[in-house]
Amino acid sequence: MIEAHGLTKRYGSKTAVDDVSFTVHPGKVTGFLGPNGAGKSTTMRMIVGLDRPTHGTVTVNGRPYAQHRDPLRQVGALLDAKAIHTGRSAYNHLLAMGATHGIGKTRIREVIEMTGLESVAKKRVGGFSLGMGQRLGIASALLGDPRTLILDEPVNGLDPEGVVWVRNLVRYLASEGRTVFLSSHLMSEMALTADHIIVVGRGRVLADATTADIVARAAGTTVRVRSPQASRLVELLAGPGVSFTSTAPQAVEITGSTAEAIGEAAAAAQLVLHELTPVNGSLEDAYMSLTQDSVEYHSGEPGPHTDHAGAHTAPATQEGAHR
Amino acid sequence: MSTETLTSATDTPLGTASTGRIHLTFPRVVRSEWIKFRTLRSTVWTLATTIVLMVGISLLFAWGVTSSTGAGGNPEDFGGLTGANVVTGGYYFGQLTLAVLGVLVISGEYSTGMIRSTLAAVPTRLPALWAKALVLGVTSFVVSSIAIGLSYVATRAMLDPIDLATDLGDPEQIRILLGTALYLTAIALLAFAFGALLRHSAAALAAVLGLLLVVENVFLLIPLTFFEKISPFLPSTAGSQLMMPQAQIDLMAQSATGAVLTPWEGFAVLAAWVVVLLGVAAVLLKRRNA
Repeated sequence: MIEAHGLTKRYGSKTAVDDVSFTVHPGKVTGFLGPNGAGKSTTMRMIVGLDRPTHGTVTVNGRPYAQHRDPLRQVGALLDAKAIHTGRSAYNHLLAMGATHGIGKTRIREVIEMTGLESVAKKRVGGFSLGMGQRLGIASALLGDPRTLILDEPVNGLDPEGVVWVRNLVRYLASEGRTVFLSSHLMSEMALTADHIIVVGRGRVLADATTADIVARAAGTTVRVRSPQASRLVELLAGPGVSFTSTAPQAVEITGSTAEAIGEAAAAAQLVLHELTPVNGSLEDAYMSLTQDSVEYHSGEPGPHTDHAGAHTAPATQEGAHR
Repeated sequence: MSTETLTSATDTPLGTASTGRIHLTFPRVVRSEWIKFRTLRSTVWTLATTIVLMVGISLLFAWGVTSSTGAGGNPEDFGGLTGANVVTGGYYFGQLTLAVLGVLVISGEYSTGMIRSTLAAVPTRLPALWAKALVLGVTSFVVSSIAIGLSYVATRAMLDPIDLATDLGDPEQIRILLGTALYLTAIALLAFAFGALLRHSAAALAAVLGLLLVVENVFLLIPLTFFEKISPFLPSTAGSQLMMPQAQIDLMAQSATGAVLTPWEGFAVLAAWVVVLLGVAAVLLKRRNA
């Protein structure tokens, strides 16, 4: 359980985190989303006491992190895969970290095996690939068998197999009743992994709800229709709050109506329908619409402007959204 | 590996780390710092270099003294030089390698990001700083003592015939031998404090070596009252008194315009520098973002 109250962090005149309050509950995977510079990493660093909040408080399992007698048993954190001395071997790094809490060699070998680092455990970390470094960071986080896990971009640099492994691992850890708080830039991955999502932008909480709610609330529902008489159908349905996007000849995506209403209207006018499919928005769409005003670093659009709402990547994200 | 690894992950969910005895204690933090200290190649190399340099320089020193004595000189001509000074003659180079080690022990954690792992494991922070200082201090003292012991054995055959052998029954000689180990330990800790304050290897090395090698020597050379008053209280100049034969200190007292500190006063001044700088480093470590 992580509880933040009015958490604020300023660096000079720049406010990185602005009066943020949220609770991360045990037994669930909570995703932490936001554009670059939104304050995700700073928030995570404040949770484990690496950065001192300018205002506000944050507690883990009921207490400020630094007041726990066994911090590594309370929180396992992967904040920065580079938070490891490059001149030391993975095994010795874990041994030294564990030694602070009296964690023995058996557990060190366990987490090395768990993270698939057996073959490189005795090698110096300086020669590790990004993915290996990430696995070692995860091994360090798991070392104290913590009740709460905080993972900043855990799948960054992992191969597809590693991504699946992290997903299964965090879902398993949450199912055991642990608190799991993770950030990621990979929306489709987050939709599959997280039960609950907190979206931040410019240091503020923009949304804090279940993954399904966030997707439904922000994206609305679109219905995909194919019909030889598509243009006739569009004329019939036209009205306030209903919009149309033509995706192909004889195909149209209709937002602001329902499959039932469209089907009945078509039947009444005796129009032939080849397809009538409700399409849920993706987490990515929801995220984009939530954060479009708070993106810190806008990238130039390549070519003609394209609206994000047009790109539905349905099946995979739907599965996640309905979890 | 996905399924297999996951299975092994799930087989031992609470694993061997779940016993109630898993928590922080200061001795455990010291143990952790000791593991970190000994598992870096740079540590091993720096300490080995310290020993080789110190023994090598004392051998050269002994050779120089023997050959000039053999050419008709007399030990009395060396201005109160004692056998212990020959044995510890490598201290000047030993302080350089130990200062580098002292800086790197902490700045290496900042440059690699390791400090975040360290402070996440020990969130009250100060135990980690004290544990590092303790490990560094004890190791520096032991390694300096070994280097001095080896130098004593190595130079004995050369110094015996010219009547300059170290007399281990003479309190002054013992003070010089022991004082060298204490001096080097204090310099390593001084460098450590600089590393903790500045957090950048290059900046801290420049600061500590600049102070020891440049600033202090320049201050010694400038014949203005201000510099002559300040100079005896600079860390290395003050601390070196502990390694100086009494005869030489008496000689200084006759000509000096500034203060002439006794051996232990001088060491106390050096120790005060270390304590104050470490204190400031501790306050900043507690306050700063990692």
